Amino acid sequence: MTAHTSSLSSGVAAVSSAARVSVEAPCGRLSLRARGDLSALEGALGLALPRKVGGRAAAGELQALCLGPDEWMLHAPLAAVSGLVEACAGVYGALPHSLVDVSGREVSFQISGPRAAELLTLGCARDIDTIAVGEGRRTLFDGSTVILWRDAADSFRMDVWNSFASHLLHLLEVGVRELAAEAL
Amino acid sequence: MSNYRVSGRGRVDTARPISFTFDGKTYRGAKGDTVASALLANGVHLMGRSFKYHRPRGAVAAGSEEPNALIGTRRGPGRFEPNTRATVQEIWEGLETTSQNKFPSLKFDVGAVNDAAYMLFSAGFYYKTFMWPRSFWDKVYEPFIRAAAGLGVSPKEEDPDHYASRYLHCDVLVVGAGPTGLAAARAAAVGGLKVVLVDENAEAGGTLLSEPQARIDGRPAWDWLTAELAALKELGVKIMTRTTAIGYYHQNMIGMVEKLTDHLPALPADTPRERMWRVRARQVVLAQGALEKPLVFHGNDRPGVMLAGSAQTFLNRYGVLVGKKPVVITSHDSAWYAAFDLQDAGAKVQAIVDIRGTVSEALLSGARSRGITVKLSHTATGTSGRLRVSSLRVNPVTNGAVGAGEEISCDAVLMSGGWTPSLHLFSHTKGSLAWDDDRTTFLPKDTPEDCVIAGASRGLWGIAAVLADGAEKGRAVAEALGQTPAPAAAQAVEGDRTGSGVSMTELPTDRSPGKAKAFVDYQNDVTAKDLRLAVREGMRSIEHVKRYTTNGMATDQGKMSNINGLNIAADALGKKQPQVGLTTFRPPYTPTTFGAFAGYHRGGHFEVTRKTQIDSWAEEHGAVFEPVSQWRRAWYFPKPGEDMDTAVRRECVATRKSVGIFDASTLGKIEVVGPDAVEFMNRMYTNPWTKLAPGRCRYGLLLGDDGYIRDDGVIGRLSEDKFHVTTTTGGAARVLNMMEDYLQTEWPDLNVWLTSTTEQWSTIALNGPDAAKLLAPFVEGVELTEDAFPHMSCVECTVAGLPARLFRVSFTGEIGFEINVRAHEGRKLWETLWEAGQQYGITAYGTETMHVLRAEKGYIIVGQDTDGTVTPYDCGMGWAVGKKKPDFVGMRGLARPDLVAKGRKQFVGLLTEDKSRLEEGAQIVFDPKQAIPMKMVGHVTSSYLSDTVGQPIALAVIEGGHERMGETVYIPMPDRIIAAKITDPVFVDPENTRLKI
Amino acid sequence: MLLIHCPYCSETLPEVEFTYAGEAHIVRPETPSAQSDADWEGFLFLRSNVRGPHYERWRHLHGCGRYFNAVRDTVSDKFLTTYKAGEPRPDLSTLTVTQK
Repeated sequence: MTAHTSSLSSGVAAVSSAARVSVEAPCGRLSLRARGDLSALEGALGLALPRKVGGRAAAGELQALCLGPDEWMLHAPLAAVSGLVEACAGVYGALPHSLVDVSGREVSFQISGPRAAELLTLGCARDIDTIAVGEGRRTLFDGSTVILWRDAADSFRMDVWNSFASHLLHLLEVGVRELAAEAL
Repeated sequence: MSNYRVSGRGRVDTARPISFTFDGKTYRGAKGDTVASALLANGVHLMGRSFKYHRPRGAVAAGSEEPNALIGTRRGPGRFEPNTRATVQEIWEGLETTSQNKFPSLKFDVGAVNDAAYMLFSAGFYYKTFMWPRSFWDKVYEPFIRAAAGLGVSPKEEDPDHYASRYLHCDVLVVGAGPTGLAAARAAAVGGLKVVLVDENAEAGGTLLSEPQARIDGRPAWDWLTAELAALKELGVKIMTRTTAIGYYHQNMIGMVEKLTDHLPALPADTPRERMWRVRARQVVLAQGALEKPLVFHGNDRPGVMLAGSAQTFLNRYGVLVGKKPVVITSHDSAWYAAFDLQDAGAKVQAIVDIRGTVSEALLSGARSRGITVKLSHTATGTSGRLRVSSLRVNPVTNGAVGAGEEISCDAVLMSGGWTPSLHLFSHTKGSLAWDDDRTTFLPKDTPEDCVIAGASRGLWGIAAVLADGAEKGRAVAEALGQTPAPAAAQAVEGDRTGSGVSMTELPTDRSPGKAKAFVDYQNDVTAKDLRLAVREGMRSIEHVKRYTTNGMATDQGKMSNINGLNIAADALGKKQPQVGLTTFRPPYTPTTFGAFAGYHRGGHFEVTRKTQIDSWAEEHGAVFEPVSQWRRAWYFPKPGEDMDTAVRRECVATRKSVGIFDASTLGKIEVVGPDAVEFMNRMYTNPWTKLAPGRCRYGLLLGDDGYIRDDGVIGRLSEDKFHVTTTTGGAARVLNMMEDYLQTEWPDLNVWLTSTTEQWSTIALNGPDAAKLLAPFVEGVELTEDAFPHMSCVECTVAGLPARLFRVSFTGEIGFEINVRAHEGRKLWETLWEAGQQYGITAYGTETMHVLRAEKGYIIVGQDTDGTVTPYDCGMGWAVGKKKPDFVGMRGLARPDLVAKGRKQFVGLLTEDKSRLEEGAQIVFDPKQAIPMKMVGHVTSSYLSDTVGQPIALAVIEGGHERMGETVYIPMPDRIIAAKITDPVFVDPENTRLKI
Repeated sequence: MLLIHCPYCSETLPEVEFTYAGEAHIVRPETPSAQSDADWEGFLFLRSNVRGPHYERWRHLHGCGRYFNAVRDTVSDKFLTTYKAGEPRPDLSTLTVTQK
């Protein structure tokens, strides 16, 4: 299989004493939609799907984030995507659902550092502190829809659609410098 | 240093002198000075000319409410800011400042002739005078007004600074860091509550900075302040200075502008000039204090006449005597203390003149002990001095009768007409106000927001009172947030200056009131006479008086003038003030730069520019781009020396002759999946979908329930339960939203889900007679033959080894394919096809050629050929409407009386008789000889040059067009009338023979 | 900028995450083709445009994506409540402004 080549190359995009922003390597992404008794799907995925919006679950390298009452974003290694698609297709008859490969749709930024949360306040109207560590949300950053995963108090991932990436990355880069220039 | 600086006074650092210029002359100030305090330290009062009459003006206040001393500040190219308040701008080494509204110089200004023509400029002057004759407006009135009036000069260069914004969430926001705010923040900072204390000044402290004589808890006020600020920091309170709360919006959202660099001599890297904070606070404490009112008397605007409290601030905070021989005119106790402070600092106070007949014995003895002359029951009736006040004329008032005047020689006049609680932000909350007769002012009453107002801004007076009130309100908001703060002991304050006063209209005078220039609004040059004239001419509400006179409408928003204006208008009307009303305060509290509002959104970051994965190839190959919704798309690919028309003709010809390649990635794509997918498609789109076999596609039309076309696109059925829907580029988000709306709220029982895959795929369109030949060698999984993969087929396969969704569709009338590969692989595939296509002379084309080729085939572009009032039948696309379906969105709408009526505008082609190219949007008439205004029967929706047709072609909507084939219509243009023949919109290959492989 | 409580996320969030979607409880008829012109006109175009508590729809577009219903006072611009799509219209007399 041909490796993904991203128009934004993976690696550190901006770093300062305040925060660090890097573009993550491509990963597998699946948009899952289903409702009702999810046990068949959970069996296929090998993971208990979180039911609360913003909740997350992980099994091995598969991660799931509940985005809406019947919607999850799954992240997995690229190589695992076809297996997951196949496994879920196997239970489609038992539990009709929609599983769409969106690996090519998005890119993720890793945002970390002592003032990572504050960096997000440059463009996010919601209170970042209401996203607990280990949770995630779909929200708006600088006018664009993004998915935020909070992996630690000072470490986030931001999933953005490809065509918005350079715009959002530009603001994050400005912010990384701006925060570092601030005397606290 | 200069001779108005008082050593041992003020908080400026005279050991750190700073040079700056004002109108080209260099002055020295001290670290901590504002431009105003530094100029006053140099004995300079004249700082500007007024807006309308060009009268000489000086600083009348010491803070952000200053109406007069507006200056321009410059810091190299592009960094010029007009209308900066000299009382706010801090000085730094090398700062260049200039006065405004003067020609040729501040001291001799030609425009001051307006002052002599004063009678012409009274209230409502513009309304009355410039109404007629109409022709005078452009040539005489407007140029004259523009030249004569106006505030400052707009900068012309691009602003090189950067501006920032941030959201901030906190439990308690305290606005104003005077004693009230400090006490409130201290009391609220319990139980881990996140407290933010904000102040517009360079340092926190508010009135404490002007009252060093006070002792709080046994400590001098400034020592107490230092300790208190340290304690607040210790408690985790975020203290923000040089930050103005400009507006209070719904549900405790407060806009705040922080100025970060205007006070710095060198600009630090990566630091924005200003930052807009959008704060969401669970509770807000407003502690904005009170603003002093001027007294309204003839000549109260002469440089050197200023608010007594401001003179006290200039002395105590900046160490500057505003005059060595000041005279005081007041109706409030507070001015007496200013006089005492100035006297104690070495000034010779010429007299304290009080309107009132009696004042407290404490004040009288204070004056006596300092040897200051006191004149009670006196009024002020004038000032003299050309560019600086040199005397004040005062007269005794006995039983309302004004006695003989007496000139008191002076170099400054300190006035006080009492104090107005600052209710601006409170008013932004839609808070209600109550008139307080004792204090002759409005006080805050109720607010719908989670907000309390404390201290002087609710009419309290004196440090002890506001400390107690601030603490109480701070505790109250903490309790509202579920805390149980400990009751704090009252703080003992010595040297507190409580007092009272009376509120006035114009001061009594022995002059003809018609000749008095007693200013109410300094910035808009509105006098008491103007206000009374407005009432005489029929204005009854303060809102009318305000607009007729412009009182309170300047950039200072009437901070000083509103209550004086109201008192005078109420007096003229013979009504109580609340019956006349108070004008509404609106954000922003102080003038705010556009930069602060724009924040990061300027230049390349002005808005999102979406780019496809193939965009970089287009850029490298010289594409010219056009914006299409948020995307930038390759418009055409000019070769050296080609203009747009030439490039587009070449691209069109090449595509029809061999093969063209086009980036169609921006097309919206939606994956529709689920057992009820086909039922959903049947309900959403006009077309029938049940019989569409997997592997086939169909052109779909989407209507609104009103029957009008909303969107269109080719839709492929990938399997029984899975559709690949495409939408227009601009319609992608809208269509998905509309589908979700119906799915979630009308048909929640349907088992189907929608996922946007617009950006999952890069979409490359290959069109032309050689398209199949070029593509076939790369495709695994299907033969590109007429039998195996006919027109309107789709398949999941691999193309050049990449997983792909291949569609055989055509938007050009040629053999066409759309190859979808995962987005990141788009450019790679494009380059592969580009290389292989060289043998066929492959040509990259942009959106313009795409438009021409589709127009030659009569294919509509939704949003260009349709405008939200066009039905499928209007477009001649009745074939796309399923006739046997029980329902679809828009089906009932299509039967509405208006939509089936005769004479609807219908989609047709146009060929001009003179072979000229029509203007898109041009109106069409049947009879060119009719009288103007002609009856317009339609308009040109698309128009292009067409080599294939051999003449320009156009598409149009025309009343009853389908029945008028072959008829001639007319397109009147400014220079001529163009005749055109109505034709079928399909200009090329109506039998679709070219689609066959 | 208002704060809006999303009944699906159980969070109160900034208005920018939401889009307005018109008056609520206007049900698309089961069989539109059976509608008279007047009835269809009413469904398509006629809205109550109330001054005061207004039943309306919002979508948590940049969050969970759900359409939901709300009662908002068009005078004070305050939300009285929000509730899930499909739930019955709440009784106005039981609603009080909780969020000041």
